[in-house]
Amino acid sequence: MGINRYRLAAIGIALLGAAAVGMASAEPVTIKYALWDPNQLPAYQKVAEDFMAKNPDIKITIDQAGWNDYWTGLQTAMVGGTAPDVFTDHLAKVTDFAGKGQVVDIEPLVKRDKVDTSIYLPGLADLWTKDGKRYGLPKDWDTIALVVNKKVQAEVGITDKELANLTWNPKDGGTFQKVIAKLSLDKNGNNGLSPKFDPKNVVRYGFEVQHSDDRGQSQFSAFALSTGWYYTDGTFNANYHYDDPRFIATIDWFKRMVAKGFIAPYELTALSQYTLFTPQKAAMVLDGSWMIGFYLNNADFPVAFYQTPIGPVGRKSMTNGLADSIWTGCKHKEEAWRWVKYLASAEAETTVGTFGVVFPAVKAGVDKALAAYKAKSKDVSAFTELATGKKTTFVYPVLDHGVEVAQIMTQSFDMIFLGKGETAATLKAANAKVNALFK
Amino acid sequence: MQGSRARRRKLRDYASSLGFIVPSLIGFVVFFAVPLFRGLYISFTDWDLLGKAHWVAADNYRRLLADADFWNSVLVTFEYVLWNIPIQTVIALGIALVMRRLKSSSLLRGAIIVPWLLPNVVAALLALAILDPAIGVLNEGIKALGLRPLAFLTTTELAMPSIAGINTWKFMGYTALIIFTGMQGIPAEVDEAALIDGATGFTAFRKITLPLLRPVLAFVLVTSVIGSFQVYDTVAIATRGGPVNATWVINFFIYKNAFEGYKMGYATAASMLLFLLLVGIGFLQIKLMRAGESD
Amino acid sequence: MASKVMARKSRVPFIATVVVLLVVTLFPIYWVVRMSFTTNKEIFSGSSALVPRAPTATNYLRVLGFMDSETSLKLGGSGQKINFLRFLANSLLVSSLVTVSQVLFSAAAAYAFARLRFPGRDKLFAAYISALMVPSIVMTIPNFILVKNLGWLNTYLGIAAPALLMTPYAVFFLRQFFLGINRELEEAAYIDGAGKLKVFSSVVLPMSTTCLVALAVITFITQWNDYMWPLIVGKDESVRLLTVALGIFRSQTPNGLPDWGGLMAGTTLAIVPTLAIFVAFGRRIVDSINFSGFR
Repeated sequence: MGINRYRLAAIGIALLGAAAVGMASAEPVTIKYALWDPNQLPAYQKVAEDFMAKNPDIKITIDQAGWNDYWTGLQTAMVGGTAPDVFTDHLAKVTDFAGKGQVVDIEPLVKRDKVDTSIYLPGLADLWTKDGKRYGLPKDWDTIALVVNKKVQAEVGITDKELANLTWNPKDGGTFQKVIAKLSLDKNGNNGLSPKFDPKNVVRYGFEVQHSDDRGQSQFSAFALSTGWYYTDGTFNANYHYDDPRFIATIDWFKRMVAKGFIAPYELTALSQYTLFTPQKAAMVLDGSWMIGFYLNNADFPVAFYQTPIGPVGRKSMTNGLADSIWTGCKHKEEAWRWVKYLASAEAETTVGTFGVVFPAVKAGVDKALAAYKAKSKDVSAFTELATGKKTTFVYPVLDHGVEVAQIMTQSFDMIFLGKGETAATLKAANAKVNALFK
Repeated sequence: MQGSRARRRKLRDYASSLGFIVPSLIGFVVFFAVPLFRGLYISFTDWDLLGKAHWVAADNYRRLLADADFWNSVLVTFEYVLWNIPIQTVIALGIALVMRRLKSSSLLRGAIIVPWLLPNVVAALLALAILDPAIGVLNEGIKALGLRPLAFLTTTELAMPSIAGINTWKFMGYTALIIFTGMQGIPAEVDEAALIDGATGFTAFRKITLPLLRPVLAFVLVTSVIGSFQVYDTVAIATRGGPVNATWVINFFIYKNAFEGYKMGYATAASMLLFLLLVGIGFLQIKLMRAGESD
Repeated sequence: MASKVMARKSRVPFIATVVVLLVVTLFPIYWVVRMSFTTNKEIFSGSSALVPRAPTATNYLRVLGFMDSETSLKLGGSGQKINFLRFLANSLLVSSLVTVSQVLFSAAAAYAFARLRFPGRDKLFAAYISALMVPSIVMTIPNFILVKNLGWLNTYLGIAAPALLMTPYAVFFLRQFFLGINRELEEAAYIDGAGKLKVFSSVVLPMSTTCLVALAVITFITQWNDYMWPLIVGKDESVRLLTVALGIFRSQTPNGLPDWGGLMAGTTLAIVPTLAIFVAFGRRIVDSINFSGFR
């Protein structure tokens, strides 16, 4: 009896000793994390520091590659087996990655650790699920709003109240059309409301819209959707409706505005959304919340943000959300999961929010982020009000064939706005081609 | 006895010759030949980059030949080459002649090569800035002359010539330098003889200098045409294949299918077709040039 | 008499041509430098003044890593610091390594193709030329996987590997040159009993320094500006090349514009070494080469 007890104790002590030595000399597991936006790098570095302080057995290395190279680099790394363990994912890409078995289904882990998904803004978490599998937890969101040149606004005599309550419809453009007409200026000093306005010699356009792809996120989306139209029969449903009369009417309205000289022609704006806005050759633009910093830092005139105009069924704004996914080739899935869990936590997301670059997906963090922007004297409530409004936000459908659809629609819009195709006919043909992809 | 000794000597001779080739052969086989054959294999599969590759025989090729986008890419690329090569070569020839006149001042040599020193990506971005229809400096100059600004990269008519123009700008100095180097072999007496004969500068050039330059021009043309068919960076950055599909060159078609469409098998098949096209054109050029060689 | 009149008549158009050439070639380069000294705010305000309204050195400070994230972000740059000197050193190392090695081994192969005899010589040379025509995408992924399997990812060797032993262009270029060298000296050396290696190293190479230097300069610059391959093979900061590092100044969002100021400052700094190399060796390149092109 005695011998057994002592032997057990000896074995126990030996094991403990070995474990202690093991833990002390154990190499921390390195988790590679990738993101593309360098503006968010300082925020995530702070989050990583906080995480590593709480989890000394894990080391986080952050790798940043710009948007242009991010996905190609990621795919090549996946093929070669050197992909990062955790990476920032995008709704347009996750379906493909999931279909090809490159991202881990974290639903079992979410259930096991009882992760609370109700802390996020409604609807965001579900976007990352498909057929009961989950590929990421939402970490931030963005919306689209109007960006206005305050200097020109004052010159032309438009009140903030007017801008905050713009109406729009595809027939006569509502008060929105009147406002962009007023903001337009021709060579001779006439604005768009004057009968002498010369559309061929415009020095300042009321509104700038870049050429569009299938989403039209910063182009037509807010307008088209405010007519009650949606791209397909549902977020996960692949029956496209680009040939719907409401959509055709919306695009036709844009074309009319270009002809009238209130919206800049396509040739001038292919470069970027803001080519004409920052040189003050356009007074208003529609852009996303991730560009807030850009406009505030690079415009040498005061800028303000307003909600999207009220259409026939109300205000609409496209929203998008990012999440972090775990690569299936990751060798330390448990540690990767702990990092992902932390990234998706209210604490981490609020930290990111305080850097004032993105809006965190957790409801509680949104106010903190707003406050952070206010502290830098930026009023970005237009974006947050749209995000938290009733039924104002919508997501682009999460489907396959994203690249082909984008290609078909981009080329179709190019044709329409370059005058090489009539709106209804081109859209009908394009829609047929798009739906044929899903047969 | 004599026979075998001679044979052995010959073998040793061959072996020592091969010694010169071997290092480059290793590089060639490992980094060029093997990937090429691997690519050939992939072109007969449906590999989607991230999954398993399944054999589909000639399906990719059949679909390619029926693909309107593919043929558009081929056409558009030919359009690019036809804009780029003649203009670039003629200008390069002109520059080389100028350099000869100036007895090659180092300043000029340094100046004309600088465009080539820019990385492709930066040159394309720079072009975007300079050619912008609203705020680009080139159009500011055009407006100052009282003319209407041109939307170089955003109209279907001007986009491809503009891309060709950008690359001509980038490579004309470098090409000129190679031609100039080749001109060094032509003695100055040739120029003088032509002048005394009463021939104008141009006829002298055409009848005498040009034929002597044929070998260099051949090298330059073969390498530029091959490079031209593979244009990518400029298009990817300056026009992204647009407007509509006016600049959707074949390499852009390939990259889009490979990395965005996950159709690696399909894209590789297109690469193989491009390869065949280039081999055909390349060796045709070599044959034609060889026939006209003079010395 | 006639030639003097000729000369005077053609002087004005000649000078005009030179001036136009210099303006067209150098104006965009001037624009790079001009943008590098302009704040992003001014650039985005669409100013195309020839000289910036408010010249600044902040872009250079940002590129060289002398600025903190906050200020960097406010100036329209990314929040990331770049270790410019480190990346510059990496590029210098890799480019030099590749240049020396590639020129050496390609010269050996070129000599064999030009002068030595062995079975299959011309067929092999044709194969080398064909490698010029393989679209690069075919080679990128297989080579990436190979380099990874060799354990050379994120090493200088991995980045240099595909071009280390040869490129078809280099072998082609040198073989054409070697064909044109006067055989007598070589034959004399052979008669004297020298072996192939000795003839190559003591006779042919010294005679070809000009051409070798030309190729070396071209190889160095091509390797310096390489982007796609070093991007995927050399991600790690310790081996990252300058062109890849400058990618951070490109657009970070889809459909966005670059950090112009930072990009142009980085580009200006990146051109300096290549321009210096070219100027230093430029003289050697154009002095008396007898380039013979095809045979």
